[in-house]
Amino acid sequence: MIQDHQHLSYEEVSALVDGELIPRDAHDLEQHLASCHSCALSVISAMQLKSATKRAFKRFAPPPEVLTRFRARLLPETPKNPARVYTARSLIRGALAACLLLALSLLIRREVRQSSGLAAELLDQHLALLSSDSPPEVISSDRHTVKPWFDGKLPFSFNLPDAFPSGTTLKGGDLIFLDGHPAALLVFTVGRHQASVFLTQRSFAGTPSVARRTLSGFTIQYAKTQDLYLTVVSDGNPSDLALLVSALVAEQSPR
Amino acid sequence: MPARNGSVLFEQLALPLLPSLYSHAFWLSRNQEDAEDIVQETISKALRAFDSFQSGTNFRAWIFRILRNTFLTSRAAIATSRTVFMEDHVDLFDVSDPSPTPEDHLLRLDNHAALTEALERLHPQLREVLLLCEIEELKYKEIAVVLDIPIGTVMSRISRARRTLYAQLSQQVGSLL
Repeated sequence: MIQDHQHLSYEEVSALVDGELIPRDAHDLEQHLASCHSCALSVISAMQLKSATKRAFKRFAPPPEVLTRFRARLLPETPKNPARVYTARSLIRGALAACLLLALSLLIRREVRQSSGLAAELLDQHLALLSSDSPPEVISSDRHTVKPWFDGKLPFSFNLPDAFPSGTTLKGGDLIFLDGHPAALLVFTVGRHQASVFLTQRSFAGTPSVARRTLSGFTIQYAKTQDLYLTVVSDGNPSDLALLVSALVAEQSPR
Repeated sequence: MPARNGSVLFEQLALPLLPSLYSHAFWLSRNQEDAEDIVQETISKALRAFDSFQSGTNFRAWIFRILRNTFLTSRAAIATSRTVFMEDHVDLFDVSDPSPTPEDHLLRLDNHAALTEALERLHPQLREVLLLCEIEELKYKEIAVVLDIPIGTVMSRISRARRTLYAQLSQQVGSLL
């Protein structure tokens, strides 16, 4: 609260012109302004600057075709093709082709569904970590703090190396559940990017067999050890992520 | 929420914000193609993470934060050297106080070109907080969410940005006299 003999601070002037003061503080400041010519001029000039800044900042409008692409992105599942007229012969051919495709797809459906679903779930977990205000449960760059935190929480154990690849730092960890199975989430900073490492038991059948894939611009790398599956999700450099995966895999090897 | 309902709700919330997201992405990246890429990726990330969005909280601040994080991890950010932390470079933001009088301020603000140039010269992180405040008209607490900083830091950054503008305007006008 301002005293009569004091002038307003820069922060108070800014907050006042931005309408960010609570009513009581605003009232106190306005009372001061009534008797302080210097502060009154400061507030007026700040209001002028705010108004002039609004005018000077240009708002860039997206070109119509760009806006159309954005809108299309909002509803990826919306059908894009107009209705067409089909002949009976083309319908029969189509039905036969569909049966063939269905038979083929049934052969690979389970694995694809599991791997795609899991990849999406892992990506969601990673994105939630990036975009939410909730940090991982344990925040530390010390492996002796992070690893013991999982004791008693997981039906398996894992090791963390003494040192990580250059530019890679452990940030913390959390316990999560993937398809109902407990998993360890380790959070790393790899260069300027954040990486989420998910550790699950090998008995957990949801892990796909491919070593690397991309999903929505994110790299998802997989590796397995004797007992564990490791999955890394990040938009960082894939080669840097591979180094992190290698370091983690090497540490799980029996000595 | 059911997937279909979530998708519809997401569209309802995000659609009106597309021009603002693009404009802000353009200001951050200073490039039309990069701005489009950033918004496209932001939509994709936000759509995927929409389940984690808490209904009733501020969607605008939430998606602007995703946009900013997307920019910070983009090539455009590296190209513009934006991934430095302001607190690590406090000296960049020290404002030499030219002690202008309030009357001086009033006289200089009618010079639109000078103000535009001062905004261009403003450090990107100070310009960003002003953009969110003046153009996007976000409240301080919303800006705090977008930038992931305390509200007190928002207040001091906005104040510092304006003082820097004053100082630059003073220098420009002084050089013309």
